[in-house]
Amino acid sequence: MALGDAYEGEDPALPCGRTLSEVWETAEETPDDPHTVGCPHCQEALAQLGILDDYVREARDRDADEAAEAAAADRLTARVMDLVRTDLRPGRTLPLGEPADDAWITEAAAAKAFRAAAEALPTVFAGSCKVVLEVPDGPATVTMEVAAGLEWPLPELAERIRERVLAAADEAVGMTVSGVDVTVVDLIDAEADAGEERA
Amino acid sequence: MPEPGDALLAVRAGEGDEGAFEVLVRRHGPPLLRLATRLLGSRTDAEDAVQDAFVNAWRRIPEFRGDASFSTWMYRIVTNRCLNILRARRPTQDLGSVPEPPAPEHASSPVRAAESQAAVRALSDAMQGLTPEQRACWVLRELQGLPYEEIAEIVGSTHQAVRGRVFRARRYLTEAMSSWR
Repeated sequence: MALGDAYEGEDPALPCGRTLSEVWETAEETPDDPHTVGCPHCQEALAQLGILDDYVREARDRDADEAAEAAAADRLTARVMDLVRTDLRPGRTLPLGEPADDAWITEAAAAKAFRAAAEALPTVFAGSCKVVLEVPDGPATVTMEVAAGLEWPLPELAERIRERVLAAADEAVGMTVSGVDVTVVDLIDAEADAGEERA
Repeated sequence: MPEPGDALLAVRAGEGDEGAFEVLVRRHGPPLLRLATRLLGSRTDAEDAVQDAFVNAWRRIPEFRGDASFSTWMYRIVTNRCLNILRARRPTQDLGSVPEPPAPEHASSPVRAAESQAAVRALSDAMQGLTPEQRACWVLRELQGLPYEEIAEIVGSTHQAVRGRVFRARRYLTEAMSSWR
């Protein structure tokens, strides 16, 4: 791929006619390119880049100190979450029980209970969960998005989640829920999804 | 055991679920700390920068639409933060005045370890000669191993411009390191 203008004339041509960027990119993209393999000028340019690559490898290896990284990540998570907890977004308050009870729950807390109820099913992960009042004192409807393992027949999955959410609303939260809309947004292939780590 | 994906967790965090956000911080913290340490040359500064980036992300995540992946979005926030720090620092910066804490020596012999540490120090010194933008593109490419397309999204630039910066950085560093050896 010719880059030309991107280098603003900083891309010198070697005596063999190829520019430095061409040599480097060819080596990355076509390692067994016949010209590169036989050309002393290209080889010299690559040897120089190889010196840099050695240092880069050293720098990468030196960073790979897993114990220190884990400690730093724990420290970071604790510090971030301390700050996040001073700046929560609990959402609207929703009434519980009868209007005279003067009891309420935040939308975030209700959503948490409903997600947990759905996630008690194997391979189910809940995403968005919205709790909306149809009239000011309820009842509420719950709209939930889920991802689930491929083994679930979808109608059965939706029905099981609905049952669980209604049971949680009734028993754990004490809220009247008139309907539960379930949308399956993702199917999880457990084997294909294993590991998404990055350098 | 499968885990919930970033997209699902980001939506939950956007709806105020701080537990989902904590999973994201734990999952993406290590590569972002590595990136910031490589950009800033200091672990302490890196931890501060990544912490600020995550707190900023918590505030902005209700507007996160998932056009880019959560990972790319975080890389962008951390890279911008580091670029601002580097730009502010640059005029008064002496070469090599940002010492790295000595690394634990896990190479096999003391001589080998000392050589390795000196080499890494030399590379770290040479990187000071790059502009903040070149440094960011080069680190994302060579040390984080990201594709050009994603780097362009992270730094808010074109694919061509990113390739140009990586090329200039490589050229500069190749010359600097050849003379060091």
